[in-house]
Amino acid sequence: MFVLLRHLQRVRREAALPRRQGARSLAIRHVDAGSCNACEHELTAIAAPQYDFQRFGLDIVASPRHADVLLVTGPITRRMEGPLLSAYEAMPEPRRVAALGDCALGCNVLADPAELALPLDQLLPVDLRIPGCPPTPAEISAAILEMIDGG
Amino acid sequence: MSPSHTAGFARQATETVAVAPVGWRDACLGELDRGGRFCGAYAVGAGAGRRWNALFADGEATRMLSLEVGEGEAVPTIVDLLPGADWDEREAHDLHGLDFAGRESLRPLVAHTAATGSWTVPVSGEGTYQVAVGPIHAGVIESGHFRFHVVGERILHLDPRLFYKHRGLQRAAEGASPERGLAFAQRACGACAVANSVAYALACEAALGLVADREARRGRTLLLELERLYNHLNDIAQICAGVGFAPGNMAFAALKERALRLNAELVGHRFLFGTVAIGAGPEVSAARADALRGALRELGEDAASAWRELSFAASVQARLGGVGVLSAEDAAALGAVGPAARAAGIALDCRSTSPGLWYGSSFAPAAPARPSGDVGARLEVRGVELPATLELLQELLAEPIGAGGSDPGPADPRGVARVESPRGETVCAVELTVARRLGRVHLRTGSYANWPALAHATADNLLPDFPLINKSFELCYACADR
Ligand code: SF4
Repeated sequence: MFVLLRHLQRVRREAALPRRQGARSLAIRHVDAGSCNACEHELTAIAAPQYDFQRFGLDIVASPRHADVLLVTGPITRRMEGPLLSAYEAMPEPRRVAALGDCALGCNVLADPAELALPLDQLLPVDLRIPGCPPTPAEISAAILEMIDGG
Repeated sequence: MSPSHTAGFARQATETVAVAPVGWRDACLGELDRGGRFCGAYAVGAGAGRRWNALFADGEATRMLSLEVGEGEAVPTIVDLLPGADWDEREAHDLHGLDFAGRESLRPLVAHTAATGSWTVPVSGEGTYQVAVGPIHAGVIESGHFRFHVVGERILHLDPRLFYKHRGLQRAAEGASPERGLAFAQRACGACAVANSVAYALACEAALGLVADREARRGRTLLLELERLYNHLNDIAQICAGVGFAPGNMAFAALKERALRLNAELVGHRFLFGTVAIGAGPEVSAARADALRGALRELGEDAASAWRELSFAASVQARLGGVGVLSAEDAAALGAVGPAARAAGIALDCRSTSPGLWYGSSFAPAAPARPSGDVGARLEVRGVELPATLELLQELLAEPIGAGGSDPGPADPRGVARVESPRGETVCAVELTVARRLGRVHLRTGSYANWPALAHATADNLLPDFPLINKSFELCYACADR
């Protein structure tokens, strides 16, 4: 275990993480609405030692009831439209919606149109767009932090 | 370990046999008697003239039994002979309107409109109740629904309901050119993008009468092993997370991140998107190959020391034994593949029968010291395969990889390819129209094959252990839903 902790210490040193500036917090609820799973891999990676988004007060929470931001991936399949909308309904206000990845932005979507619901921005008010296929962990963290700092 | 197949017909051959309805079950049994292993079935077309094709793997060869299904006719089921065909039959019913005779029930699989009672197995008795989980889960997890039938904390039965992410990719690809179809195969799953694309490309090449040359085979094998590397690191991290062991989770997440960065340095994409092409392969210069070898050596040393630590973390190891057991017998009956099958003691790895790639003839499936089929054994398979993959990568990168191409070969009416993804055998079948457009694309990934085995392995376990069992299989939802 101590070897593992030493590994982690080294990674953190090499990543040269900036000091946390000021106090802030943001609770994120992720909903996969038909992604290819690479967007999820990158979203998970922002918790890895090289990025460690929790030091900015960002957290992925288990329930939409605890969330400030609904972070959506995928092109919105017909079958995920209902669960997506109920997750949004369950969120307290004020709430924000973020589209993660080109699919959620409605770009270059590949699918049988009959299997898709309306694009995300026609279902919910999208406040933050994070383009990329998939966006890198650094891009995801930067976009979310910019949103908090921008009010 | 140098590949023996340096020249000649380096491709998995496919032979198609037309079968009449009355002989269907006997023909399938005959395949099993000949040593064939069922590896999927798929329907083609709609209305009259539909066909039902079953695939059987036999070493490097694949045999296809093909049945013409007339209007109003039902296909004799094979699910009692081959429980692994359950999902294939149910999917064909939902998406192609095929009926199967002789089955107890054909519960909806892909179709989502029916009432809960129609897609779950009835479970009753004193103290039984259901726990519904998903489609949205607590963490960053793909969407899917699980219905647990439990007594107290103990799981009696699990009905998974996937296909929330069904995008109709196979259908959407129809009519496109083979080259354009690659994007659909890749998009089916980000974490298996290479395996799916390579299986698709090999299947198309078989249908087009092309045989990938030496350099293309080496280049594709490199990509496949890079994909396996980051996935295995990811899976070990996830199993650590499943038992709440944060140091292991973070150490392996950091190693996975390093592997992804190496991918980006090599090909410009962390998940190796856009690197597979039909009739061509990626090029790797001597300088890049050298740099990658060095970086992989360092990564391998750190992974080995982290793995050693993990094996001595008693609090982790104590949580892994006897949990989520999949016996060898059940694994074989349900058609389990990949690490899940190898952890149960089944020596099955498509890499040992892939002449279209660059694995040596001496390649042997990894064997865990204790093939107990539990979470611990599935973790161990990853641990054993990591150094093997790193060694393969060192061998592949010992010399630069030139621009790959293809040579003309015999064209099969249907192209079929089987490729070992990080989750197991992925089968792709491609049928072209006379105008050389995609008539049918069938992608049956390792995840698709393993989902029923995962559901089976949860029976008799505690409900709170499900996340751990789930992570020990680490199947993709996107891969199955397509
Ligand atoms: S944007 Fe790209 S990486 Fe993200 S889900 Fe869509 S296809 Fe996958």
